[in-house]
Amino acid sequence: MDDVSKHLKDAPAEEISKAINLLQAVYERDGRIYIFGNGGSLAIATHWVSDFNKTVFSHNLTGHPRRFQAMRLPSTEEEMSAWANDVGYDMVFAGPLQNYIQESDCVIAISSSGNSPNIIKAVELAKARHVPVIGLSGFSKDNKLNNLADAKILIETDPGAYTVVESVHHAILHLLTSYFQDYFDNLTERNERRKK
Amino acid sequence: MIVTRAPLRISFVGGGTDIKEFYEKYPGRVISSTIDKYVYTVINYGHLLDEIVVKYSETESVKELKDIKHGRFREALRKLNIDGTGLEIASFADLPGKTGLGSSSSFSTALLKALHAHLDKPVTKQVLTELACELEIDILKEPIGKQDQYATAFGGLNVFQFNTDGTVDIEPVYIDYKVRADLEDHTILFFTGTTRSASSVLSEQKESMADKFATYKEMSDSVPAFKEALQNGDFKELATMLNAGWEKKKTLAGKISNDVLDTLYTTGIDSGAWGGKVLGAGGGGCLFFIAPPDAHKSIVQALEEKATESGLKGFKKIDFDFTQSGTDILFNSSPYHA
Repeated sequence: MDDVSKHLKDAPAEEISKAINLLQAVYERDGRIYIFGNGGSLAIATHWVSDFNKTVFSHNLTGHPRRFQAMRLPSTEEEMSAWANDVGYDMVFAGPLQNYIQESDCVIAISSSGNSPNIIKAVELAKARHVPVIGLSGFSKDNKLNNLADAKILIETDPGAYTVVESVHHAILHLLTSYFQDYFDNLTERNERRKK
Repeated sequence: MIVTRAPLRISFVGGGTDIKEFYEKYPGRVISSTIDKYVYTVINYGHLLDEIVVKYSETESVKELKDIKHGRFREALRKLNIDGTGLEIASFADLPGKTGLGSSSSFSTALLKALHAHLDKPVTKQVLTELACELEIDILKEPIGKQDQYATAFGGLNVFQFNTDGTVDIEPVYIDYKVRADLEDHTILFFTGTTRSASSVLSEQKESMADKFATYKEMSDSVPAFKEALQNGDFKELATMLNAGWEKKKTLAGKISNDVLDTLYTTGIDSGAWGGKVLGAGGGGCLFFIAPPDAHKSIVQALEEKATESGLKGFKKIDFDFTQSGTDILFNSSPYHA
């Protein structure tokens, strides 16, 4: 736990601010957010979708006609197995991403090593389409995801410290959820005040 | 059909130091933020159309590109080697032009972004900005700076530094939504009902650049302190700096202010505003104030009365929020686009 709290304190504040601005911009232009990862990171991706699509608006569910449009990729196990079996495991994210991606969107890629080939394939697709990438990675700062991402949320640890990296990634997801929940609460309150 | 949009911007301090005659000798700096008012470009494919149609305040239908009167439409198409036959290209805006909110560069980036989408060519914010600068400054020879093209292409709250070698550093200013919301609650924006062409004011400024160099230098150097006060949420300090910037700016060219603008500005200050400025190159357009929220009502009332007295029929308060997004594609129905 000491490791987790140390890395939480050292979390890259400026890169998290960058991520907040990218998410704010996507919201303003009504774009979508695609989130993906492998194993535990895929669980964080799914959790993220739920928090961004619902939790951030929880205090006023009817008051925000425009909401985040977050999707975990692939959105079904069937697509995952079809891409993995028929084409190759490196295409399980890039394959489904290609169906949806538009320039107004944004990508959140989660990979503790930052080097998973399937993650990098999808991030390269996003970069080729000029779609901004928020990259959550760990271990060494010289990982591929960290190099490619626009917002570089890196938790630098010893190689293989998955539990530490994933715990901090999860906490950052909750930090962003709280930030936007507060933001939308504040917006509701201000809009009511402005009407008066 | 393709739809793009580019935001307008409020430039706080440093405007004018983004002109080449200055930044070639000393780094220029500007701090600005985009707002939720936009210029839009729509491209439609007229399948039976054998001419080029461009729509703005006028509609032009021409057989050949060279016959388009509107310089930006013509030169943007030419620059990207687009013949244009069969295209209907239209521009819309949330606010009129020449109001000091940088709309002419928003027009350029929205148009260039849409034309790239038409070509199926993604374009980076940096390249889009450079193309807009080339279009306006090099090709159309407008005597303007580079701040607006950067502001509208990148979006958000930024400090731009215009280096002597021609490169530009973009430094996003990170503030959380609470400071941003607080800033919005402290600001008031008015359209004065008069417009001006930035070019006429800026041409005069360019001519006197050498004499006024020290003033420009002070304006550029005031940007970091403004950024810091903004991050600290020190709105009174921001207002004082806006005032100082505006007083300096007025000395740069005779056309920047006039009696009506001075009267409106003084009225704002007298009715409780901490500070303010005329936005953009000056000479007309929009007035911007920073004031304690509880004074807003009396400021609006006093200015509306003064505007009526001065015969300013179009005078109006503009509600706005600061934004984060830059020049974006909102819609692209082309089935094969990348």
